[in-house]
Amino acid sequence: MTEQIDKALAREYEAGFVSDVESETFEPGLDENVIRRISEMKGEPEWMLEWRLSAFREWLEMEEPEWALVDYPKIDFQSISYYSAPKSMKDKPKSLDEVDPELLRTYEKLGIPLIEQQMLAGIAVDAVFDSVSVVTTFREKLEEAGVIFCPISEALHKYPDLVKKYIGSVVPKKDNYYAALNCAVFTDGSFVYIPKGTRCPMELSTYFRINEQNTGQFERTLIIADEGSHVSYLEGCTAPQRDENQLHAAVVELVAMDNAEIKYSTVQNWYPGDENGKGGIYNFVTKRGICHTNAKISWTQVETGSSVTWKYPSCILKGDNSVGEFYSVALTRGRQQADTGTKMIHIGKNTKSTIISKGISAGRSNNSYRGLVRMNPGAEGARNFTQCDSLLIGDQCGAHTFPYVESRNPSAIIEHEATTSKVSDEQMFLCRQRGLDPEKAVSMIVNGFCKEVFKELPMEFAVEAGKLLEISLEGSVG
Amino acid sequence: MSEWLESAIARAQGINDWLAPKRAHALELLANTKWPTRKTEAWRYTPLRPVERTQAKVISDKVDLSPVSIADLSAIELVFVNGQFDQAQLVKTLPEGLSISLGGDLGSAEQTDALSVFSTIKPERHIFGLVNDALAQDVVVVTVAEGVEITQPIRISSLLSQGAESHTRVQVALAAGSRLTVIEDVQAQGESFNTAFVEYNVAANARLEHYRFALQTGSNVAIGGSHFNLHDHAKMNSTIVGFGSDLSRLDTDIIHAGEFADAKLNAMYLLDGKELFDLHATVEHAKPNGKTEENVRCIVADRARAVFNGRIHIHRDAQKTLAELNNRNLLLSDKAEINTKPELEIYADDVKCAHGATVAQIDKQALYYLQTRGVSRSKAQVMLNFGFINELIDLMPNAALAEWIRPIIRERFAQMEVK
Repeated sequence: MTEQIDKALAREYEAGFVSDVESETFEPGLDENVIRRISEMKGEPEWMLEWRLSAFREWLEMEEPEWALVDYPKIDFQSISYYSAPKSMKDKPKSLDEVDPELLRTYEKLGIPLIEQQMLAGIAVDAVFDSVSVVTTFREKLEEAGVIFCPISEALHKYPDLVKKYIGSVVPKKDNYYAALNCAVFTDGSFVYIPKGTRCPMELSTYFRINEQNTGQFERTLIIADEGSHVSYLEGCTAPQRDENQLHAAVVELVAMDNAEIKYSTVQNWYPGDENGKGGIYNFVTKRGICHTNAKISWTQVETGSSVTWKYPSCILKGDNSVGEFYSVALTRGRQQADTGTKMIHIGKNTKSTIISKGISAGRSNNSYRGLVRMNPGAEGARNFTQCDSLLIGDQCGAHTFPYVESRNPSAIIEHEATTSKVSDEQMFLCRQRGLDPEKAVSMIVNGFCKEVFKELPMEFAVEAGKLLEISLEGSVG
Repeated sequence: MSEWLESAIARAQGINDWLAPKRAHALELLANTKWPTRKTEAWRYTPLRPVERTQAKVISDKVDLSPVSIADLSAIELVFVNGQFDQAQLVKTLPEGLSISLGGDLGSAEQTDALSVFSTIKPERHIFGLVNDALAQDVVVVTVAEGVEITQPIRISSLLSQGAESHTRVQVALAAGSRLTVIEDVQAQGESFNTAFVEYNVAANARLEHYRFALQTGSNVAIGGSHFNLHDHAKMNSTIVGFGSDLSRLDTDIIHAGEFADAKLNAMYLLDGKELFDLHATVEHAKPNGKTEENVRCIVADRARAVFNGRIHIHRDAQKTLAELNNRNLLLSDKAEINTKPELEIYADDVKCAHGATVAQIDKQALYYLQTRGVSRSKAQVMLNFGFINELIDLMPNAALAEWIRPIIRERFAQMEVK
């Protein structure tokens, strides 16, 4: 059995190739000049530069958070390059035909053919390569519906008022150490605006990829769903296989106005490092959404990559009757460490939240759920249900649960449940009796374990997520 | 560092007795410990202002105080008055196989034994545990010989007069196959400050029945801990009943140091006024085949604040562990507050662990049902609240104690509801 686990854990990271794209990359290092240069490269308005600089000054005063159950050497922020762009992007392509074919091939290898499949799937994609957004597909069709979907750097030029109004409104500049760093050095990301009463005609998608060596990726996503609108947004991530650790510190802000709904799905498959824990991405991400009256935000995440994950997609349920959801599958193996969960802050009356978290640990990994449910005094009739299940595969891994429950309203109801178990001998026996080999059986059992979350994912993503888990789990139980 | 802690450290430096090496070690650790703030995880919801402001002083003059009597309970009384062990209140002849004596009076062999256990069961992370190590006035050592069953319970009472400060410490060792019941109790008259820690070493096949009553309310600061080390096949059953005060904090640690140990913990607390009660219960499963069952229930009224941290830690070797924690909370007022955190930290795969936590109001349907039967709304509330707690009182193995605490709790409910 141990052999099988070892074999499975030694599997190749499929997105680990490096693309040979000529690129323009800043020298490693971080000071105000670097920030000025980033801002200049992007041709940003003056207020944006000021905003970045003030965030940077705050960041210098802040301390790195140490409360998460993760262990990694101190990051040298001066050894990271804060900007990298493929050279051919200098003169921005006007359409797909003008994009560097090497870049397109990269995305094809990753299984995101920007053209054909998207036609079939009807998903509009914004692809972010290192620090810049490469291409956004299906623009015209979206424009017809009045939907704005473009790189945030472009939005700064075209819709500065919208950006200025909402950027930093959900995740303040000095929210936390990595968010502050992101504010200072973010390079690109997606911007989405759905006008009043509009149902976005297709699913929107961003693919992030880190390609350059010694670079960090700091993208920023801002989604605004105006009153009564609806949008479903997908996010995927990969990176090449490298020996050194790379930092990814993103910020995602969602604003759901009255009666709006945002569904945000992530499949995170950054390079997890090799089985000895060498290399891999540090994924330190701040994601938060604010719900106004009757609005709904739903986070779904499938986390299989990164050597260290530190991520808590959260909902501020400000408006009455607003709804927050968090569905998560986090799988760790090798020496991966994940500390992930959510925060549900109930402020409005009759607000509701649901948290379903499934953690699967294998190899020598550690997987923690850390969550907060807070009922403020005004959260009359609020309701929360939380379920955290952990599955352990092998006896060298760890599964942990740290739920914080805070209630200040007597009419609020909170329920929290957590269980930890392993794939039982009975389940295995039953499957093997039916002629399934052990690998298939485990994959089936794990898929069943995660079903509640997978069913929340858009179909294409659900298929990808299921496949990802299957590869990761190959033969991990005999 | 707070002024209070600085003065405590200064006072401790003058003490030179048989515990000197342990005290020095605690002082060394304290010197490197930051005074807890909101950012200190273990004190996140429990501000230490009442400690910083306390005017309580050590009273060395002899004061006559005796513990409240409990009907039908004939206990061996182990009494501390303002932190000093009151030898006069201890019966002259103890049952065969039981010894109770001051650590300083022990023979050198016994003293060495006692020293080797002192502060090894109580974890070092607790800042006030270290304060107790350094400042404990009288340390009492209780031992039960191998295979002996002591039928009479021992009651450890820490009594404090108005404005007194005390630091009491008891060490209890149950030898293999022995049986013992221990009741811990603190009774304070107000404006007091006390730390009271007891360490239990429960050897193979021994059984411990344990109670801790933290019923002092009002302007008292009470910080304490009960810490248990369970060896192979050892069994313990503990019941905790707490009312809050300006600051009441209790830490329990159950360590499964042997295989097939079995631990039960039932805790209930009822808070009113501006009281605060903070229970930190930690279970360490270090060896395989252990079993733990915890039930924690809490009712919070008025402006009171309840804190619960229930941590279950399953170590790599502790395969086949069964551990369960159930935490239920009722909030009675819109100014009251509950902060609860049930934690699981698991490093072994073949285990069954679960925790559940709920925070809610009384079941509206049950309330409605009682009202349709002619019970007034306020009476119905008292009945339902009492029923919620009474389920745990029913589980208390000692009938005399259950009968004693039941009316006290009922009265407390009646007071809580009147407001």
